[in-house]
Amino acid sequence: MWAQVINAILGIWLMASAAMLGYADAKTITDNEHILGPVIASFAIISWWEATRVVRLYNVPLGLWLLLAPWVLGFDNTAATVNSMVVGALVTGLSFVKGKIEDTYGGGWSAVWKSDTLHAREARKQPRVDLDK
Amino acid sequence: MSKEKGIPPGWSYNPASWGQRMPIVIAAMVGFAIATYLALFQLKVIDTVWEPFFGNGSRKILTSETSQILPIPDGALGALGYLVDALAGIIGGTRRWRRMPWIVIAFGLAVGPLGFISVLLVVLQPVLYDAWCTLCLVTALISVVMIGPAMDEMLASLQYMKRVKDAKVSMWKAFWGYKEVQGRVI
Repeated sequence: MWAQVINAILGIWLMASAAMLGYADAKTITDNEHILGPVIASFAIISWWEATRVVRLYNVPLGLWLLLAPWVLGFDNTAATVNSMVVGALVTGLSFVKGKIEDTYGGGWSAVWKSDTLHAREARKQPRVDLDK
Repeated sequence: MSKEKGIPPGWSYNPASWGQRMPIVIAAMVGFAIATYLALFQLKVIDTVWEPFFGNGSRKILTSETSQILPIPDGALGALGYLVDALAGIIGGTRRWRRMPWIVIAFGLAVGPLGFISVLLVVLQPVLYDAWCTLCLVTALISVVMIGPAMDEMLASLQYMKRVKDAKVSMWKAFWGYKEVQGRVI
């Protein structure tokens, strides 16, 4: 989970970095950061919980985009370029850190459509009566 | 084990227990309170809005064109959204993942779009208006924090619906929690 905490902080940093690093007037650069920042932070926060840990991977393409953005969008500010690439590399790398999964979830999301999953096998072991009586 | 605690098969805990649900309900209530406050400003019931960091930011955002795009201000819609989330979080007992899947799935679906719209509005603040609104950011954070913990319960309900389907029991009846199908599928 610590990796996704760092990614959330990096997303929030992206929202603030233009003002902090002094290129707030460069509209293309700041727009890019102001769009990516909240989205990266949101995906990271959602993946703090074990059942939705998989959402961390949505940040992989976003991190890769941050690595490419200075060249695709033609950043003319060195601080912005370095910031985008460092944050992009960190976000991409940390998105792959799964962390500990301590609870079990009946086989997870794929068990909603697949057959013979953990929850289906466990349910068969229990007697089929109204459990609430 | 699961007979007493209502733990779904193959799970190590019950995602519908009160300990799991109460934090989400409390978060939704806080979101509701803040959004109501912002809506009151937007409806001109109160004429100032609290803004500790961004000067004129909150006023700019809360009176922007985007916020008036619908007949009622976006703060009021947000308040309504949080209220739905809080209600959908509190209705039903600790076995509701199989006794009333409809509310659990509605809960999961209500939390998702609210979070999505909040994040979209956070993006629009600086991009369109070059301003930030502190309390809007706080409500957005609240709605994003609610998504993760609401999803595990929805997962338990969706897995239950899958077992209902495999057992060839009516999915319609199971979804709405008809008495006649209760306990036919675990």
